[in-house]
Formats: sequence, structure tokens, C-alpha cells
Amino acid sequence: MKKLSFALALLAACTMLAGAAFAGKLDDIKKNGVLVAGVKDSQPPFGYVDEQSKQIVGFEIDVCKYLADKLGVKLEIKPVTSATRIPMLTQGSVDIVAATMTHKIEREAEIDFSITYFPAEQKLLVKKGGGIKTVADLAGKKVGSAKGSTSEKNIQAAQPKCQVISYDTYPMAFLALKQGKVDAVTTDAPILAGLKATDEKPEMWEVTGDFIADEPYGLGLPENDSDYRDFVNASLMEMWRSGEYAKIYDKWFGPKSKCPLELKWKMELWP
Amino acid sequence: MRWDVVWNNIDYFLWGSLNFDTQNMRVTGELGGLALAVVLAALGIFGAFWLGLAAGLMRLSRRAWVKAIAVIYIELVRGTPLLMLIFWFYFLAPIVLGTAVPEFQSTLIAFIVFTGAYVGEIVRAGVTALPKGQMEAARGTGLTHFQAMRLVILPQALRNMIPSFVNQFVSLTKDTSLASIIGVNELTNTATQVNNRTMNAPFEIFITIAALYFLICWVLTATSRRLEKHLARYQARGR
Amino acid sequence: MKYNFDWSIVLTGEYHQWLIDGLWLTLKISALSIILATALGTLVAVLRMTKVKALEWFSLAFTEFFRNTPLLVQIYFWYFGSYVLLPEAVNKWLYKQDFEFAAGVIALTVYTAAFIAEEIRAGIFAIPKNQLEASRATGLSFLQAYRYVILPQAFRIIIPPLISQFLNLIKNSSLVMTIGVMDLTYMARQIESHTFRGFEAFTAATLIYLVISLIVSLSINLYNKHFLRQIKY
Repeated sequence: MKKLSFALALLAACTMLAGAAFAGKLDDIKKNGVLVAGVKDSQPPFGYVDEQSKQIVGFEIDVCKYLADKLGVKLEIKPVTSATRIPMLTQGSVDIVAATMTHKIEREAEIDFSITYFPAEQKLLVKKGGGIKTVADLAGKKVGSAKGSTSEKNIQAAQPKCQVISYDTYPMAFLALKQGKVDAVTTDAPILAGLKATDEKPEMWEVTGDFIADEPYGLGLPENDSDYRDFVNASLMEMWRSGEYAKIYDKWFGPKSKCPLELKWKMELWP
Repeated sequence: MRWDVVWNNIDYFLWGSLNFDTQNMRVTGELGGLALAVVLAALGIFGAFWLGLAAGLMRLSRRAWVKAIAVIYIELVRGTPLLMLIFWFYFLAPIVLGTAVPEFQSTLIAFIVFTGAYVGEIVRAGVTALPKGQMEAARGTGLTHFQAMRLVILPQALRNMIPSFVNQFVSLTKDTSLASIIGVNELTNTATQVNNRTMNAPFEIFITIAALYFLICWVLTATSRRLEKHLARYQARGR
Repeated sequence: MKYNFDWSIVLTGEYHQWLIDGLWLTLKISALSIILATALGTLVAVLRMTKVKALEWFSLAFTEFFRNTPLLVQIYFWYFGSYVLLPEAVNKWLYKQDFEFAAGVIALTVYTAAFIAEEIRAGIFAIPKNQLEASRATGLSFLQAYRYVILPQAFRIIIPPLISQFLNLIKNSSLVMTIGVMDLTYMARQIESHTFRGFEAFTAATLIYLVISLIVSLSINLYNKHFLRQIKY
């Protein structure tokens, strides 16, 4: 029985390898006429369900839309969480992951990444005047984060004396903070700013903390498909050069948006 | 209290983003919420019925290896949490199968495999509850074992099993909430999405969806109880 | 995609320890919930027999509501929605404790108690009515009759279904991972996301659940064989 299932698994692995060697993802996408993107569905302003249209919208959806338009295909959105995004990409249920995913070297073993499309840094979200300013203040406190995220591992390393409680999504962690069940939420600053902006009284909360970790976001791509990766990288740079990036950024993070965040960063551009 | 949050999203809870565009006369958006939960449960119980029927009858077989397959299947599944089974089909089936299975289909398969094991036990209990003489008499009239099963035993046994099936259907309806964990946009998922966006009415939202589940399950349970009373009159019992 | 099996990660080292920690928590939360659910379930079942209309209604509403709503929703409710039920100060104190664990225990207890109450009621119904009348006639009070005559008999009949409810509870406890309780399923998920070795982690966790289930099922069978046959009506 064991032998049989192992042989089956091996056979499946071989057919997959063969399949991957012959057809690139780019051809597949063009042939099917759809780009399937894995995005967050509860992460304003990166990806969330819009109240009026009930559709998933956000900064990362617009980035994927740009890529789909360039390929001349339709965009299909699939919600993922921090824990499901890598398995979904490796098993092929999505073609690209745009889900606030940090480009980490250890993740390179499973998937590939595009160039950085969003700069982020891990911070803390706390109640204003609650006495927590830095990571050091977290000793003996409860900190909320999301399952499968880098923030979860970083904070445990930066402050071994805190208790990390991992939820399925960041908004759940923020809800726990609002109800006083955790003392801080830690993840990337723009996500924290987005969470803060969803509250009815955003001024009650503040994003704080000293340096914990850099969290540059990259688009997750299937392993070892360089044609596809080249296309995505070139498109991102073109997006920046044409000013389209700035337009999308302004829509979600501009001064008039719900979650203003100054753009102090420049994309890596290859000549 | 913020019941307005619930009120504003009640359509999303009930049928997801499905919308009828009156200008172009076409349906837009995707089915979700309670409607999708009911679809999942209905398809699930349909598949589980046939799988369970096969498993239950196989478990009664006199051939040792046929019986062994059924016993292993039923006991393995009944000893595993449904959530684990969902993870298996979702994260790990692709490694074995070689292709990705979309989340709706993969949870549906997990539900069928899971519920099938319980239905198998219901079928086995239903068939063994019939007096032995029924089978002997049927065989005595010249029917084969298979014919006797199909024409004499099952029609009686299945009718007696209807209340248990309905109970299993209720369980499955509740279990569809687990599909939200891997992102199927059924009722519980719509609730967490709205809760994550609004974050000011968790009490109201979760009470509302609990009430929605309750409504469906309670109607089913009530039906099952009436059936039980009704069917008890026809039951042929042994001993 | 090529998958190289590496069973060592679940058999030794840090991740092995995670699984053990997870198992320990699963056993802890299950044991506590089983005790509380049995107590609450018995209480609810007895309330239903009291002939006091209000109590009967309460018991009926309790079992019907909690049996007919999904456990996952109940877990979310107790964890995120319960803050309106208690005063602010009590909440503050509660949240400083291990509230994730507590919410998990409450949800598992209440959900399972509703099922246990029904099993117990069915067990009590199985006892012929004249037993109660006879024991009342010997001078026992209503409560005493239940305590010394009805319940001990009923419990013997309902022990097998009761144990299978306990087994359900152990399996259902996997849902508490959604609110951040670090049980066995949570740890398997964590290992998957840390090492991308889902196959090994999920296999190990599934086997552990299976072993627990097998032990419990075997004990039911043994019980049936040795004790149940002696009971005759």
C-alpha cells in the first residue's frame, strides 16, 4: 500500500515535471485567456471586498489588472490567506500571488519572486497612550499577527518574552486589539495603516515601534519559469516608468485616500 | 448595537455578490453566502449517499477483502477531524494528483468522503436492523443475493433510514462552515469578510449568521422528527 | 514539482516538539471540555424533566439552538462577539488571562453539552416509567429518585453514545485553531507554513488523531461486550 502510493506520487511528480518543461506559464495564460491572481480579500487597501460592489478591490488587484491587460487576457481573482498563498501557487491553482507577501530568501526554495513592487517595514499597531512604544515594551504582553506570515516569526525573534497569537487574517488580529485581547498587532506598516483607517476612530490608534524587519513585497511566481518572470518584471518597470504605478498608488495611498502614505521609494529599474 | 451593519450586508450573507443587472438583463457576480452553503450541503449529501450506500453494503459483504476496504475507509475517516480531511484534499491532493483542484470542488470532495463514511454506518445499521427472515425469504423465492438486496431489503431499509439521513444532512449543513477556512465564500466566510471590513459589529454579525444556519438546520431537524414518527408505523423489526 | 519526503522533521527536533506541544494542548482542552460538557449536558437534560415550564423551555431552546448552529460560528461568536454580554471590567480581566483557550473551552462545552443532553434524555426515556413511580413510592423525593435510581441506570445505557460524543469533541477541538489556540491542527499548519513540509506534518497530525480515535472506539467496543449484555429490561 505504502509502495503503491509512493509510486503514484512519483508518477504524478514526473508528469508534472514533464509538463512544466514543455509549456511555460505565459503560454498557458494566453491559451486560457485568464490570469488567475491570488490576492487578499480582507486586507484594505491591498485587497478587500468593496461594500457597494461586493467585489474584491484594492492596490494589488489593480497591479494584477495591469499585468492581465498587458497580456490581453481576463483577470480572475482568487482570495488567499498568508498560510494558503504559497501552496496555492506551487500547486497551480493561481498563476500569480499578489498578497502582501514579503520576498524572503527561504521562500525562494518553493517559488520565485518578481522585483519589489511595494516597500514595507514591520511595525507595531497599538492603542495611543497605552504605554507601548517599542518592541522592548512587549515583554510579557500578547501580540497579534497572522498565521504563516513573516511578522509572526520576526516578532518572536525580536522579543522572545512576548506571547504571539496568530489569527487567520490581520483584521481579526486588529479586532482582538480593539477588544483588548492583545496589546499590539504587528505586521508591515502599510497594512497597519490600512487597519487603522478602517476604524471609526482612527486617531485612537498609532503605528509605532523601532526597526523590526524590512518587508519588501514581491509578486509570487511559479518556480523556474524565467520567461514568465521576465515578463512580470518588465511590466512592473514599465508600469513605474509610464506613471501608471503612481496613479494606482495615489488611488489607494494618496493624500485623498482613506489610508494616506507618502511614496518615498523608487522601484528598482533596469536600464 | 450596530444592526445596520448586518442590514446593509444581508444580501451578501444570503446570496453573495450575485446581482441581477436590470439594464442588461443578465446576472452578474458570484453565488456565495447562505445560498452557496446550501448548494455545498445538497451536492455533498447527494454524493455521500451513493458513496455511503456502496461503503455500507461493502461492509456487509461476505468477501473479506471487500469488507476490509469498507472497514478501513469508514474507520479512517471517522477517526479524522473534518478539518484535517479538508486540508488533505486541499493542500496535499495536488501533490499526489498532479493538478490543482479548485477550493469549491476540493471541499466538496472532502465533504462527500467525510459524510460518506457516516452514511455507510447508517446503511449498515439499517440493513442489519431488518429481520433476517426477510433475506432468507427473498432468496427462497429464487432471487439472487443482489436482487434480494435491491428489490426487498434496500427499499425497506432505506425508508427506515430517512430520519438518519436528514440528521446527517443537518450535520453537513453545519460542517459547510469549515469551507471558509480555505476560502470558499459561503456564509461563514462572508461573515468574516464583512466583520474584517467593518470591525464594529462582531456580536451582531455572528448572531445573525448563527440564526441563519439555525433556521435551515432546525427546519430539517423538525422534518426529520415528523418523518421518524410517521415511518415508525411501517417499521418491520426483528427480535 | 518534485517532493522529497523528509520524515525527520516531524520525528525529531524543534518541529517534533511543536507537535507534542500541540497534542498536549488538544488533550488538555478536550479533557476540560469533556468534563464541563458532561456536567452541563446532564443539567440541561434534567431541567427538561422538571415539569417547570420555564426550565423546560430553556432546556429545549438551549439544545435546539446549539445543536443546529455550526461550531465554527459559535467559536467566532464566543471569541469575538461575547464582549457585549459581560461588563467592561470583567472583559478586561478575562482578556488578560488565556482567553483564547477559555473561549475554545466554552464553545466546545456548550456545543457538546447540547448533544449530550439529548443522549441523556434518550437514556432516561429508555428507563421504564414505573421505576420512577416505584422509587417515589418507597419514599424517595423526586431528586433522590433521579439521583439514586434513574440516573445510574440511564448512564449505563448512554455511556457508549456518550463516549462517541467525547470522540466528536476531540475531533471538533481542531476548530479552535481559528482563534489562535495552538492545538495539534494549528501546529501542523504552522509547520507547513514554516517548512513547506505539509505532507509530513499533516500525516503526523492525522495519525495522532487516528490513534486517539482508535483507542476510544476500542474502549466502547470492550464496554459493549462486557457490560451492556448484563442489562436487561
